[in-house]
Amino acid sequence: MKSSILRAGVALACALGLAACGGGDGDLLLQGTIYQGVTKEGLILTNNGGDDLAVPAGASSFQFSRAVSTDDEFNIEVKQKPSNVKECTIANGKARANYYTIAQISITCEIKTHPFVIKIAGLTSNGLVVVNGTDRREVPANATTLEMSPVYEDGAYGVTVLTQPTGQTCTVQNGTATMGTTDTNNNNVVVNCA
Amino acid sequence: MKFSFARNALAMTALLTLASCGGGKATFPINVTVYNVLYDGLVLTTNGQDLAIHPGSDTSQPVNAVFPNELEYGQTYDVTPKIETTTGTDGKAVTTIKYPQHQTCQQSPNYPTNLPTYGTAGQLGKIQMYFVCSINAYPLVAKVTGLRGTGLTLANGSGVAPVSISPALDANNAPTGADIPDLTLFSVTFNTTYGVTILTQPKDQTCTISGGANGTGAGTMDVAAEAAGGVKNFVIACSNNPA
Repeated sequence: MKSSILRAGVALACALGLAACGGGDGDLLLQGTIYQGVTKEGLILTNNGGDDLAVPAGASSFQFSRAVSTDDEFNIEVKQKPSNVKECTIANGKARANYYTIAQISITCEIKTHPFVIKIAGLTSNGLVVVNGTDRREVPANATTLEMSPVYEDGAYGVTVLTQPTGQTCTVQNGTATMGTTDTNNNNVVVNCA
Repeated sequence: MKFSFARNALAMTALLTLASCGGGKATFPINVTVYNVLYDGLVLTTNGQDLAIHPGSDTSQPVNAVFPNELEYGQTYDVTPKIETTTGTDGKAVTTIKYPQHQTCQQSPNYPTNLPTYGTAGQLGKIQMYFVCSINAYPLVAKVTGLRGTGLTLANGSGVAPVSISPALDANNAPTGADIPDLTLFSVTFNTTYGVTILTQPKDQTCTISGGANGTGAGTMDVAAEAAGGVKNFVIACSNNPA
């Protein structure tokens, strides 16, 4: 009698032990924080090369639909980036699953920037100051182009004249729009001075 | 012989014990580190002492300072920017917090420098705290007139997200074209420029922008703009496109 209770106990312990070691589907949902850079559709994450997860634009977090079990290895990778992203970095994306590790995952994406060179026409005197928000540029006489700070792809720009040059008046044509997807010919801004 | 050795050892032990219990004078300096101090004017205070913090020659490095008087074991402290009350020109009391000019400072919010700025001397081996200063920002405020269409967005360069402006609606959700007063467009950091432009026009309407320091939507958030609490003369005037 005593030995049969013992035997049953051992069997139960074994069963529990097996269940805990990945026998079941698990109850841990892999999730993470998106710090920045997902401004457009197109980000697809994978876990161990499968279980594709499409992350929508503007999301601040993500969660895989398939649960994993304690001690399962997970490895989250970027299968596809949004088209305006240079690179996405995943922190703590590879580990064995437990209540701690599944909540430490984060993603940061770096959005592409493009050079922002605008045209200047008819400028014959000094004193012109052009701004794109906080980006302030003094333009010397006879300049025909002006390189401003790079602008994010799909990001807005708005060029205006802060100070007119001596004896001339400049107006900005096509001064505000959204940055294109190329490094050159990505804007139609012209500062016309007369 | 053996007995006298024990007596000596006992005397020695007693002496050492006494020394460690305040035979020597233990005092605690209050160490402060402040990040991102760009301008003069910050004064920290605790226990009746003031400590002026000046920007260093390399402002990318934090400023380290120590209060002039050390604290005794068990004395409490609470370090804060000094609050000064003066009498204004109208005779009323004016309260100012002695932050650096154009800046605001607070206890560092980030690990591992988010140590308490108050406590009791002796609680920790060393009294050390951290403050972080940031440059103040002030709003650009506009009045929008005649707006009936949807889709108006304004940009302020490339550093901040554009803002969308919706028309005023009546009880039936129809646009009224009524003025929208006191609309905050953007927040601009002290000593930086701004240039507000109309990124997209509303449906069937055209809006023009005026105001800012140069009258056409651009300017610098300078001392005068700071004193006025921002730039509040923007007008965005919208009218219907000819049919």
